[in-house]
Amino acid sequence: VIDTVPGDGDTVARMTVPAPGRANVRMRRRRFGADTRRAAILLSLPSGGLLLFFVVPVVLVAMHSVGALTLLPSDRFLTLERWRDFFGSIYLGTFVKSLRISLTVSILCVALAYPTAYFLAVVAGRRRYNLLLLTLAPFLTGFLLRILAWRVLLNPQGVITSALREFGPLAADDSIPWLFNSQFAVHLVLAYVWVPFVCLPIFVVLEGLDAHQLEAASDLGAGRWRAFWLITFPQSLPGVIAGFLFVFIPTIGEYITPLLVGGPNSFMFGNAIQGAYLQGFDWQFGSVLGVFLIAVVGVITAVFGRYLSVGTVAE
Amino acid sequence: VNAAVSRAGRRGLWSWFVALMVFLYAPIVVLVIFSFNARDTVSFPWEGFTLRWYRTFIANPTLLRAVATSLHIAAMTSVVTVVLAVPAAIALARCRFRGKAAIRGLLLAPLVIPLIVFAISLQILARAIGIEPSRYSVLIGHVVIALPFALLTLVPRLDRIGRSLEEAGQDLGAGPFATFVHVTLPLLMPAIVSSAVIAFTISFDEVVIASFVAGADTTLPLYLFSQLRTPRALPQIVAVAVLVLALSTAAVLGSEVLRRRSARAIP
Repeated sequence: VIDTVPGDGDTVARMTVPAPGRANVRMRRRRFGADTRRAAILLSLPSGGLLLFFVVPVVLVAMHSVGALTLLPSDRFLTLERWRDFFGSIYLGTFVKSLRISLTVSILCVALAYPTAYFLAVVAGRRRYNLLLLTLAPFLTGFLLRILAWRVLLNPQGVITSALREFGPLAADDSIPWLFNSQFAVHLVLAYVWVPFVCLPIFVVLEGLDAHQLEAASDLGAGRWRAFWLITFPQSLPGVIAGFLFVFIPTIGEYITPLLVGGPNSFMFGNAIQGAYLQGFDWQFGSVLGVFLIAVVGVITAVFGRYLSVGTVAE
Repeated sequence: VNAAVSRAGRRGLWSWFVALMVFLYAPIVVLVIFSFNARDTVSFPWEGFTLRWYRTFIANPTLLRAVATSLHIAAMTSVVTVVLAVPAAIALARCRFRGKAAIRGLLLAPLVIPLIVFAISLQILARAIGIEPSRYSVLIGHVVIALPFALLTLVPRLDRIGRSLEEAGQDLGAGPFATFVHVTLPLLMPAIVSSAVIAFTISFDEVVIASFVAGADTTLPLYLFSQLRTPRALPQIVAVAVLVLALSTAAVLGSEVLRRRSARAIP
C-alpha cells in the first residue's frame, strides 16, 4: 500500500544485464528464481510473525464486530445490528469531534513546521543537520513523558497557574478553566507532540529543490514572494501532505492525550473504543468502533499512501 | 543576492525557529527545574533545592520493579526487532520477487494502524489462542509496531551501500554468507544500531498496548499512569521522567553521532 522504500534494487539488477540476448533472458530468469527462493527464506519469519500477530488479530476484531465471534452471552450472533446501532449513535458525533480535533492539530502542525523546515533547508546552511536533530530530538524521546510534562504545567495546582498566582493577576484560589481538562489543552499538547515530526518531510522536500529555478525566476523579474508561491510552494506540497498525514493518521485514534490533559469533555474516538472494552466489556460494540476507525485510516492511506514515502528519504 | 530569502526574511525565519525551539524545550526545562523543588507539589513558590524526589523514587521498590520490567521488554524488543528486520530489509532491498509490493505493504502496515485498535486486537488474539497477558504479550505488540521503523532505517541504508562491494566479494570467491558477514554486515551496522535504539525507545515509552496486554507485569509507563491520580506522587514521577528523558536523549544522540560518522565511510 505504502510505497515507502525507495529504489528496490531492480534498477541495479537490470543494469547488470546489458542486452536482451537469449542467454541474458535465461540468466535473468534464473536469477529471478534464486531471488524468489532467497526472499522466501529471508521473509518467512517476519511476514509470518506479522500475519499471526497483526493480520489475524485485526481479522478477529472484524469477526467480533459482526458477531462471528462472541465474548458475552448477551452478544448477538452473526448480525450487523451493532453496526446499525453505531451509525445512529452519539459515537458518530464523537468520531466527528475526533476528526475535527485531528484536522485542526494537523493544520496547526503544518503551519508551525513549514517556516521551520524552510529555515532549516534554506537559511541554516551548514548547521542544518545539527539544527534538524535539535528539532527532532524531543520527538524521539518519550511521547508519554512529554504529555506528562504538560500535565505538570497545566493542571490547576501546576506550574502555570501557581506562577500566575504568585507573580501574576490570579487570586490565591483562582484558576483558568480553559487551561486544563479542555479541548484547548488537547490541541496544544497534540500539536506540541507532533510538530517536530512534521518538519522532517517538508525539510526533505525543500532541501531537494533546485536553487537555480529561483535564480532563473529572479532573473526573469519575479520577486521573492512570487517566486516562492509559483515555484517553491507547489513543489513542496508532497512534503506538506506527508507531514499532514504523519499527524492526522495517528491522532484520529488518540486516547492518551485526552485522558491526561483533556478530561471527559474532550474525549476522542479512541476513548470511546477504550471505554467500550475496558469499562463496558462490550467487545462487540468496541470492535465495531475499532473496525470503523481502521477503515477510515485505511481509506486515507490508500488515497494518499504515495505521499508517505517522502519522510524516509532522510534515512 | 540570495534569490530565496531577503535579509529581513532570514531574520524572521531565525526568530521563528528560535521561538519554536523555546516552545519545544521550555516544558522539558521546567520539568527538570521543578524536579529539584523542595515543595510537595510541582508548582510555585520555589522552596529550595532538594534531591529528595530522586531519593524517594530510588527507595520505591514498586517503581524500580516497573523500570526493570520496562528495560527488560525494551531490550527484548530491540533484539527481536533487529533479528526480524535485517533479513526482511535485505530481501526488500536486494531481491526481485513477485508480490514484493504486497509484502512491503504488510511489513509497513503497523505504521498506520491506530494503536488502540491494535492493542484490543492483540488482547482478543491472546484470549483466542490462550496466551497469558504478560511482558511477553507486550513484547509481541512492541515488535510489531517497531518493525516498520527498523525497516525504514535499514532499507535506505542498504540501497545506499549498493551491491558493488558485495559483488566484488563474491567475485573473489566468498559465498553469500561470508559476503554478508564480512561485507554487508559491517556496512549496515550503524543502521542496525539505530534501529535497535529506535525499537528500544518505542517500547520503553509505550503505554497503549501495555495497558491492554501487560497483565500483572506493570511497565514504567503503566506505573506512571496509575500514579497520576495521586497528586502526592507527582514530584517523584517528575524526577523519574527527567532521568528517563536524559537517558533516552543521550541514547538517541549517541546513535546519531555513530550513524553520521559511519555515513561518511560509504564511498
